Amino acid sequence: MLTCADFLAEFGDYLEDAVSSNLRAELEAHLHECKTCQVIVDSTRKTIRIVTDSGCFALPADKVDLIVRDVMSRIRKKR
Amino acid sequence: MSENLVAANESFQHDPDSTGAHGFPPDILRAQSALPSAIDAERRLVGAILLCESRLTRLRKLAILRCVSEIGGNEHCRDLHGQLPDESLDDYALLGFVAKLARHAPWVSASDVAALRSAGVDDELILEAVATAALGQMFCTLANGFFPSDVSRAVSSLPDPGDLLETAGPYLGSRARPAEKSQSYAFLKEEYGFIPNLYIVQGLRPDLVEAETYAVERIMRRETVLSRIQKEYILLAVSAGNLNTYCVSMGAQIISILGGASLEECDQICEDPHQSQIPSGDKVLLHETRKLAALSQQLGRCFAAEQLQASGFTESQIIEAVVVSSLANFLNTLQAGLGAVPDFPVRRVLSTKDLYPASGNSRPISDAAVPEDPDAEVVRRVQAGDVEAFEELVRRHSRRVFGTLAGLIGNMDDVPDVTQDVFLKAFEHIGSFQARSKFSTWLTSIAVNTGRQLLRDRKPLEPLEEDEDEGFRPRQIQSWAKNPEQLLAASQRDELVRIAVLRLPEKYRVVVLLRDIQQLSTEEAAAALDLSIPALKARLLRGRLMLRESLAEHFVRSRNQES
Repeated sequence: MLTCADFLAEFGDYLEDAVSSNLRAELEAHLHECKTCQVIVDSTRKTIRIVTDSGCFALPADKVDLIVRDVMSRIRKKR
Repeated sequence: MSENLVAANESFQHDPDSTGAHGFPPDILRAQSALPSAIDAERRLVGAILLCESRLTRLRKLAILRCVSEIGGNEHCRDLHGQLPDESLDDYALLGFVAKLARHAPWVSASDVAALRSAGVDDELILEAVATAALGQMFCTLANGFFPSDVSRAVSSLPDPGDLLETAGPYLGSRARPAEKSQSYAFLKEEYGFIPNLYIVQGLRPDLVEAETYAVERIMRRETVLSRIQKEYILLAVSAGNLNTYCVSMGAQIISILGGASLEECDQICEDPHQSQIPSGDKVLLHETRKLAALSQQLGRCFAAEQLQASGFTESQIIEAVVVSSLANFLNTLQAGLGAVPDFPVRRVLSTKDLYPASGNSRPISDAAVPEDPDAEVVRRVQAGDVEAFEELVRRHSRRVFGTLAGLIGNMDDVPDVTQDVFLKAFEHIGSFQARSKFSTWLTSIAVNTGRQLLRDRKPLEPLEEDEDEGFRPRQIQSWAKNPEQLLAASQRDELVRIAVLRLPEKYRVVVLLRDIQQLSTEEAAAALDLSIPALKARLLRGRLMLRESLAEHFVRSRNQES
């Protein structure tokens, strides 16, 4: 049976769905028994979802034209 | 290469033993028909490990072989070992140990073996399991070399570079020297002048030692199409790639005694063959064969026989290079599983830092896995002098550049100007862009470097606590709400995420930005940051776990929700 440390060592690949079927079975057997790791998996997945869906660093749509205009203007000026 | 070889060798006579071991004639033996001594060596190993009557049943051995090929992402070997009855996979303790040995060999330690013993697995079974896993790695390496298209490229993460390797061994209790009149004793005394620890720790199974020394003699000692020194270089380089200090110290001594590279030069070969003084063709040979090593395979790199052909190596020499690499992996796995201690003073204990050497050659310098660059045509037009075509590139990539810079430098007032600077730099240097990566990857690396440059002059926000040596361990273990997004308004969530991301140490922040916010693939992000894929993945997981800690207090399930 895997320990929590074993589980965490494989956690990155497990999140990315990049583990073999055998290893996946072992990891899920551990998860079935371990409340702590269940919480870590669930909350990490939610973290990724929240971060991915966040628009906190997004360029506002109406600013794209402005950047294109300014960049091309500077390039033309240099030539 | 494999199809030609197989077609050219239809007359190869299948060995009844190997047919019995696998259920049908293995192509990996057929592909080596130009090297009968290699086939002879492998047959002997198969006989001693798989076919002989032993404590470990045939079914358990096949389960181990299947486990090793699953972990190696080797579809050819997985098919070769076939579907196994479900009950053969119930051997959790033994298969768990084998899985670690196949996946993270340098991290196997005495405590893993002690855990096996406490699960009722005795030393003889452990020895047989390690030898079977080593044979499985040998098969996988041969298949990776002869049938590279069957490698699924399933990259796996490695432990963080900060983790220490436990090396104290040997792990098994029994130690014995081969009988003085045995062939193995005669060979080892002649070859080394003493009996190496790797063989002494296998005292429980003298027949295994006989088969292993026979294989080493047939593969390494015979002057065939590669020279002895070239073969020793391969063994050294592959062992270094596998972080196997034992085999590296042994290999370096042998090479210096044979009149090859000095011990200092061997250190350089281990670190980076391209910087060593060996002939340029041999540098390519070591670069390619090292990719066949188990750990290197996890870096997502694929053996390229055509590179060796371009350097003047014949097909027979390439076959032999694959065979020697497979022997190196066999010996490395055996040593890692048994914990044999080095016979020579160790010049340098290889550690995880050696997985991420300074050389650019060891890193993914391109994301050629995606051959089509949607920007290629526009880039060519700009390079040909069509300045206005650059506008299309700015339009396509302004969001990514802006987002990357915003997450890196934080101050939103500065981001539009710095975004413009990045595009201007890209325009100025587009003539030197050689399409070794996608244009968007190249542009992202300019954005990251520009952002980092700006950060050097700034006082950063207080970063989260970072403990490199002991590793990051999750501390928050309270359940989160079922739909945490609903607990806060979108603008509040975005602000929390913004602060949490900006508080990450920069090396984790930039990885999270590229992977989770800009949605780059692992390969693209690694190429843009000039990182190996395992390093990228390790930092991504660390960054995600740190963000989770940071956001937890806002999203944990309240008592009302609990009830």
